[in-house]
Amino acid sequence: MTRLAIAINLDRCTGCNTCAMACKMQNNVPMGMAWNRVLNEDCEFEVGVQGTYPHVSRSHLPVACQHCENPACLRVCPTGATYKDDKGRVEIDYEKCIGCRMCMAACPYNARVFNWNEPVRDPDFNYGDKDVPVRGKGVVEKCTLCKERTDRGDEPMCVKCCLAKARIFGDLDDPESEVSRVVRERNATALLPEQGTRPQVRYFN
Amino acid sequence: MQTSTKAKAAMGVLGTLTIAGVAAWIYQLANGLGVTGMSNGTSWGLYITMFMFFVGLSAGGLIVASSASVFHVADYKKVALPAVILSTVCICCAGMFVLIDLGGIQRVWRIITGPNPLSPLFWDICVITLYLAINVVYLAFMTSKKPGAADKVAVVSRFALPVAILVHSVTAWIFGLEMAREGWYSAIMAPLFVVSAMDSGLALLILSLMGLNKSGRFKTDKKLLSNLAGLLAVCIAVDAFLVGCEVLTMAYPGAAGAETLAIMATGATAPFFWFEIVIGLLIPFCILVFTKNRARMGLVAAASVCVVAGVFFKRVWLLLTSFVELNVAGAPGVSLGTTAAQQGGAGMWALAGSYAPTWVEIVVAIGVVSLGALAFVMLAQKLLPGGAPKREAVNVAAGEAA
Repeated sequence: MTRLAIAINLDRCTGCNTCAMACKMQNNVPMGMAWNRVLNEDCEFEVGVQGTYPHVSRSHLPVACQHCENPACLRVCPTGATYKDDKGRVEIDYEKCIGCRMCMAACPYNARVFNWNEPVRDPDFNYGDKDVPVRGKGVVEKCTLCKERTDRGDEPMCVKCCLAKARIFGDLDDPESEVSRVVRERNATALLPEQGTRPQVRYFN
Repeated sequence: MQTSTKAKAAMGVLGTLTIAGVAAWIYQLANGLGVTGMSNGTSWGLYITMFMFFVGLSAGGLIVASSASVFHVADYKKVALPAVILSTVCICCAGMFVLIDLGGIQRVWRIITGPNPLSPLFWDICVITLYLAINVVYLAFMTSKKPGAADKVAVVSRFALPVAILVHSVTAWIFGLEMAREGWYSAIMAPLFVVSAMDSGLALLILSLMGLNKSGRFKTDKKLLSNLAGLLAVCIAVDAFLVGCEVLTMAYPGAAGAETLAIMATGATAPFFWFEIVIGLLIPFCILVFTKNRARMGLVAAASVCVVAGVFFKRVWLLLTSFVELNVAGAPGVSLGTTAAQQGGAGMWALAGSYAPTWVEIVVAIGVVSLGALAFVMLAQKLLPGGAPKREAVNVAAGEAA
């Protein structure tokens, strides 16, 4: 089996948002939504800090689909449009999505976005990878772990573009892979472990 | 003659509202769900609220009608026919609201060709279809003049009662099984939905029977209405008890549940919560608990309107409260994906879920309710024994609007 995964080193993350932009470009994500977001934790402002001056700190948390081993979204999808593929990625078959948004209610990470309108792009053309399917209005979409790139043997675009080299991509089922080693040796944790979703995206310091 | 003109005018108004609703729905189909107030933060809104509400309203009728046969309550048999008509109309409205809420209704056949048996929405579609079928079969046997039809009614009612309980439970599980949402994920959801369904459904049945009485189409004696009002008082008490159990369980540990409770009690959904507690539970119970009051039809009607409105408000806070807080918080929050968000800039993001219905959603919802009221009037005209024209549509619509 293969369980493709990303481990993110939060000490290396500078919150530059390059991964979010790279994702948007690669995956043709329309205006008004993001598959990948960088959250400034415990802050109400994107440029804010935690604590009061001079005792302040900042920590960034990049969040996209966690590609869970036990995906809550997959259980509730009435048509099987959301599925776990043979590489361990959680994917969406847009042809099967009826836009009921059960998955959006079920996802604890708010990783999913919906095409409420006909997608708008600025500039007005499909700027994504030529192999990435173009989604219409009325379907749910989210991070695919760059299905098209990883199928070709490339890294996801967020991993490739990370300036700080904070992201490690690999197979959790291969004990020799760097991502497995990091998860093992650096005590990489999952987001919201109490939800029992067992994410394949991990975070470490 | 005067009544007839009034009835015709009422039908005309309902017809116009229905057409307006259809037009708004077509507008929504053409432009996408972006014409609603929903967003990636609060991904369900008025349509799903109305869906829950109408599944509930359809309960009273079928439960009263089938208890008549199952538990041999002779009195209830007299109102079984209008009760099942009401139940059928309400479940059709509920189904319509689910379909209207879909973003890709043109692909809805995928549920039949490739269903996921683990999805509560798939269970719900199965159970609602079964429930509708049982209602129709029930109606057919009750209006049949063939010998032996009465025995068949008795057989159908034995299936109808458990399916009625199941349809509310499964609707509850759409929410109650979502671990990600604090406030929904609770074993009490199914019993709470069953009892809310019973009190709102019973209240609507009482209002409809009073409407039919007024129209002269179908007579229900006061004694039976008082009796139903007594049953309603019991259901309100059980409902209040279950809400109390849930609120205490949320509050006691002072943890995540207490934060959600704070949104309900003092935050964004507080008006809806307190309206339900005071006007939906407290006041009608205090009215109906006294035998003397149950004999006064004006008070029974007022209490019934309070209960129907209260349960509607309960659906609102139940749905929306759990969308307010994000599990993974931090600026800038979620990307909303709405029409405004498509313009880019800071308006694309939100730190918490918020929602208000747009005119499109309101017109569509009024349209569906009007269609339901029209259908009830027409079915009552066709299936009920009796003669004169009717006016209950006005009362039904008034009950909804409240």
